[in-house]
Amino acid sequence: MKTLKWMQVLALSLIVVLFVAACGKSGESESESEVKITLLNSKGEIQSQLEAAAKAFKEDNPGITLEIIPVPAGQSPFEKASALYASGNPATITMLDTGDVEKFKDRVLDLSGEKWMADAVERSTSLTTFDSKNYAFPLAIEGYGFIYNKAVVDQAVGGAFDPAAINTTEALEELFQKIEASGKAPLIVSPMDWSLGAHYLPLAYAGQSSDPAVVAQFVTDLKAGKVDLASNSVYNGLLDTFDLMAKYNIDKASPLSGTYERGPEVLGKGEVGIWFQGNWAWPQISSFDTASGQYGFLPVPISNNADDFGNTQISSAVSKRLVLDKEKNTAEQQAAAKKWLEWMVYSEKGQDFLVNQANIIPAFNNITLEAKDPLAKSISDYIAKGKTQDSMSTLPADHWAKIGASMQKYFAGAADRATLTKEIQEYWKTVK
Amino acid sequence: MITEKGLWNRLRLRLLFTGPTLFAFLAVMIVPFLYGIYLTFTNWDGISTTSSLVGFQNYVSVFQDTVFWHSFLLTLEYVFITVILINIVAFLLAFVLTSGLKGQSLFRAGFFVPNLVGGIVLGFVWQFIFSNVLVYLGKEMSLPLFDASWLADPNKAFWAMIIVTVWQYAGYMMVIYVAGLMNVPKDILEAASIDGANLLTKLRKMVLPLMVPSFIVCIFLSLQRGFMVYDLNISLTKGGPYKSTEMVSMHVYEKAFLSRDYGVGQAEAFVLFLLVAIITIAQVYFSKKMEVEA
Repeated sequence: MKTLKWMQVLALSLIVVLFVAACGKSGESESESEVKITLLNSKGEIQSQLEAAAKAFKEDNPGITLEIIPVPAGQSPFEKASALYASGNPATITMLDTGDVEKFKDRVLDLSGEKWMADAVERSTSLTTFDSKNYAFPLAIEGYGFIYNKAVVDQAVGGAFDPAAINTTEALEELFQKIEASGKAPLIVSPMDWSLGAHYLPLAYAGQSSDPAVVAQFVTDLKAGKVDLASNSVYNGLLDTFDLMAKYNIDKASPLSGTYERGPEVLGKGEVGIWFQGNWAWPQISSFDTASGQYGFLPVPISNNADDFGNTQISSAVSKRLVLDKEKNTAEQQAAAKKWLEWMVYSEKGQDFLVNQANIIPAFNNITLEAKDPLAKSISDYIAKGKTQDSMSTLPADHWAKIGASMQKYFAGAADRATLTKEIQEYWKTVK
Repeated sequence: MITEKGLWNRLRLRLLFTGPTLFAFLAVMIVPFLYGIYLTFTNWDGISTTSSLVGFQNYVSVFQDTVFWHSFLLTLEYVFITVILINIVAFLLAFVLTSGLKGQSLFRAGFFVPNLVGGIVLGFVWQFIFSNVLVYLGKEMSLPLFDASWLADPNKAFWAMIIVTVWQYAGYMMVIYVAGLMNVPKDILEAASIDGANLLTKLRKMVLPLMVPSFIVCIFLSLQRGFMVYDLNISLTKGGPYKSTEMVSMHVYEKAFLSRDYGVGQAEAFVLFLLVAIITIAQVYFSKKMEVEA
């Protein structure tokens, strides 16, 4: 009996020790010469490029190891980042969508004093500046519109296609008809909720005015239920164009069955002339490319007056931002993370990674490397000419899913325009 | 040992054996559950460092959220159909595969395999089948049923989910039914044969009543899995087309993490827990009464 009691005491104390040890482990510090930082990557398509860049960064800064953690497909950066924060284990650098930065502002570093602030392009940090402190590094400018396959449209118009000529809804329809007459399908509309809800419909908000303040006011009015969308000309014009897209869509027999993967395939192979998508699609298009890399963007027209705002402007904005955690990461880690940001902007290898490897359009004036990828180049051209419209990047987090579903319903013909308008207005009333 | 005196002595012994499990259970089940209930009374958004108590406002929102109740009804419909189909298919498979068929253990293993594949992978495999393979076949053989992807039509997408669910779980339930069938005493069946009972009579009067425990377990498992379906939902239909196949778990998740309304999402999860608990407890309670002894 006696030995058994001892055994009990021993076993109990062992359990206690194990728990205490397990709980106490996080207090350990790492060796000082070596700093290990992590980056939570929410741009899945550049995961391998980022890993290669992390290696190049280590060659220049032997004391710093950068590890890239991907956000799993299907999860939003916000979900993953907030889960990491909830578990007390946030990444040193987190890649967020623009609209999410504000939620994290109490937990991340103020970056207003960084060197690259002086070289950042105009208005690239205004959406992440709160109380005149900027909390995020603008990583990539992205733009979207109609991507055209030059080989197909050249053949359709019989000669060199001039993208500037497509500046009204009528001109666009003519182009569709010409492509159809040349024996190809005019366009493919990929029916993903994020494409329709986060990219297509927000053009109706962004197209209200070239003045960002007016657009912001429009969104505020939408929330307050003061906007009558049914009589809004930009909104109706955009949906008129959408009706055209539905009419000339290659998949119109079953509009919702398309997948994202089908888009780059039929555009690259030249089965269609046009695809509504953004410059991030280049890696996929290039693997099917038959137009020897000749692609470009057309704006989405919203009226038949060529001078209306939006008819000649391409929608673009800084879409991905980097924030640095200040809660759980040490001062050394924060300093190392700042070094990485500077390395991307100012070192030759870093710039090469951004522009040539990752096909990113950087938001910094000092980077003069020319993009190799035709879509980034097309967006850059529009930016250089000042022909841009700021994409809506601070919409409510569930906007794309909810409005995307309403747009799909309209697209499939299961709802008419009045229903769609009603659903959009109802949605905005529920936004807090 | 049990007769040993003193509360502490007895408690110590129990703690030695149940302590670790109890600790794990408390830490990963009970504490988060209670903390979750606490969160339903706050307006936390999932990330902010501060939140305030809002009383029962979140529960009011749950009852005003028509989409939640709509997807709950849809889930009920889904559960009702899948429970019936899974159990019919599983029982028939089990019945055939215990009748002395050649190579029956091979078939048993084969039907069980879908259950070993995770819901996410399975969803992607079937997504490919529904939107590529069947569409291709439909076009080649001009079958109007398959000429467009099932996943693009609200009704067919719902049935696609049911088909995949039945395919996934029928094998698992089959294993339970096989065990149940093998436990039916051979002597009473033999006695019945001598008395002139045919196969159908034996099945109806003896096998089915004796297998009630298996039915209780299988119906309970399929009910519970049906209500909690999420992985298949997200990988096969993503709730689409246009949210028409969004089951209640997915709605709760999106409310909490996509709309960033953690309090309301958590409150919906709690209401869902209560409803599912009532349904499953009622099922077990009432079907227990049908059990018989041989």
